[in-house]
Amino acid sequence: MTPGMKALVSQVGVFALGAAIWFWPVPEGLTAPAWHLFAIFAATIASVIAGAFPILTASVLAVAVAVLSGVLTPAKAYAGFANGTILLIVVAFLVARAIVKCGLGQRLGHLVVSLFGKSTLGLGYSVFLVDAVIAPAFPSDTARSGVLYPLVLSLAEGGGSKPDDATRKRMGAYLMFCGMATLSLSSAIWLTAMAGNPLGAEVGKSMGFNVSFGSWLLASLLPTLLCLAGLPLLIYKVFPPEVKATPEAPAAARKALTAMGPLSLHEKIVSVTFVVMVLLWAFAGTLKLDLTAVAFLGLGVLLASGVLTLKDIGQQGDVLGTFIWFAILFAISGQLNAMGFMGYLGQRLGGALGGLPWLAAYAVLVVAYVVLHYLFVSQTAHVLALFGVFLGVGAQLGVPVPLLGFALLFSTSYFSTITPQSSSANLLVVGSGYLTQGELYRLGTITTLFNVLVLLLVGTPWILFITR
Amino acid sequence: MRRGARLAAVTLAAILAAPLLSARAEQPAPDGWRPFKATWTLSGTRQLLPTEGARSAAIVHVTGPLAITSGEGLGRGFLGEVIFFDDGGALLVARGVLTDERGDQIYCAMKAEPIGAGRKATGTITGGTGRHAGLEGTFTFSWQYVVAPESGEISGRIANIEGRTRTASSPGRAVPR
Repeated sequence: MTPGMKALVSQVGVFALGAAIWFWPVPEGLTAPAWHLFAIFAATIASVIAGAFPILTASVLAVAVAVLSGVLTPAKAYAGFANGTILLIVVAFLVARAIVKCGLGQRLGHLVVSLFGKSTLGLGYSVFLVDAVIAPAFPSDTARSGVLYPLVLSLAEGGGSKPDDATRKRMGAYLMFCGMATLSLSSAIWLTAMAGNPLGAEVGKSMGFNVSFGSWLLASLLPTLLCLAGLPLLIYKVFPPEVKATPEAPAAARKALTAMGPLSLHEKIVSVTFVVMVLLWAFAGTLKLDLTAVAFLGLGVLLASGVLTLKDIGQQGDVLGTFIWFAILFAISGQLNAMGFMGYLGQRLGGALGGLPWLAAYAVLVVAYVVLHYLFVSQTAHVLALFGVFLGVGAQLGVPVPLLGFALLFSTSYFSTITPQSSSANLLVVGSGYLTQGELYRLGTITTLFNVLVLLLVGTPWILFITR
Repeated sequence: MRRGARLAAVTLAAILAAPLLSARAEQPAPDGWRPFKATWTLSGTRQLLPTEGARSAAIVHVTGPLAITSGEGLGRGFLGEVIFFDDGGALLVARGVLTDERGDQIYCAMKAEPIGAGRKATGTITGGTGRHAGLEGTFTFSWQYVVAPESGEISGRIANIEGRTRTASSPGRAVPR
């Protein structure tokens, strides 16, 4: 079968799937608009997975069908375009470009390579370590991705990898995925590292699940550190970079740093701007600052100082594509949730588990909670829609509440790579051009499986032991 | 990639095809009343307006799935939508509408304590359309938890709705208000 014919078959199959769900009788307890929106969403995701359409094409078709069929009002369908988190990603893309353009990124890259650069694997571990250390200060993993991305981009470009060409797999694609996978762990280590964590803790209180910063850290430490030790290596094995050993790189990097001389004026402007942005992001909760406004402030300074020009902005075509598809999927998934679809699935699953031994019920609840993230594009939305429902069901079935509470909340971070769109923190990497959609789905599935297996096999006895 | 997607699809299908919620059949009382129990997960928006008192006035608009866990005659669940009005003092009233898979609706009115974990509410079913036409009834509930994820947003769960319904044609006395 020719590639063109294969794509046509996939496209027909996806339309058939969407139509079959659409015309299937609406399950009891759902409304027709919720069911029809699910048909559109399922067909959209299936089309990306099957390779029928790129994610941008699939998303644009989805929103058109959703509005023209009357399933969504235009206001609800386009709400994602005004979402602050999505705008934050767009602005962070542009700020990262400034860091690379002025040479600061290259300098940072040389610095990291001089310390960890004997191998690409060493660089991968350094990305995970940096993220784990800075994570407790950042209540938003999306903002944290804005800090990590320039570093990883600089390392990738410094290693001779360019996006969207044959060199991307030298080391760039591997490092970029490390930059995405690390967020799935750093967000789980600390209670304050992801917005959904304290929200889940608040929800859990009503069911006797009381969490402090210390008890969270103690519970997460063993499974998450094991993941942290294994994940860079696992990604390295299943998605090997073309350049593996670079024994001469640290010395070369030190030489290059010397040759670069002192910071240029633009590098100084970008350094100060970026440090101020990072500090404001870190203290945004205390100072009651909007994360996106901080990013806009930084971008404004970079434009006003001439570090970035309008021409630079105009050249970032990938940003527009990412903004469009994510805003659409964000809105559709959000509306699917608002129409009760996610909660319906959770409640229905809970009703079907009666009679299971608690350990089996626990495993089913955790796995189902993870798999259902295929339908979400926000971890916080997932916590709000399903965490309370699943914790309540588990408690009724005799699952120890602290065990299930911690397992579900850690999973909320562990599954953040399950699809490219499953967390806004993924978007900088997804839009970088270093990884294809197929690679992102494959590596995301492997990463999620690994994290959840470690949680179930090691984390479960550990959490039971410390909460007994 | 495909294996992961297949796993996701199979799990979703299994959940959708799972045995229906364990709603137990309840025999109607001689006067036609049928008891029911339900859970409700809600999320939406909250607009606040300062008052001269300690509490702000608020308009809360939330939606979410209501699952019937016990009882006959109401089906398995609804999409519920509620608008609460809180005057910042003693008054908190709400109107709700429950929509089922056929688009048939149940209307209700509620009086409640200010929204928060453990706070109680009482409701009256005031009518319906389609197969719920002529429905009447009462119910009570309390919030299991309420959280405000971001400014202007609110999310909560009710795990203990208990009430009774009957159709207007059922024998017996009028609905207590």
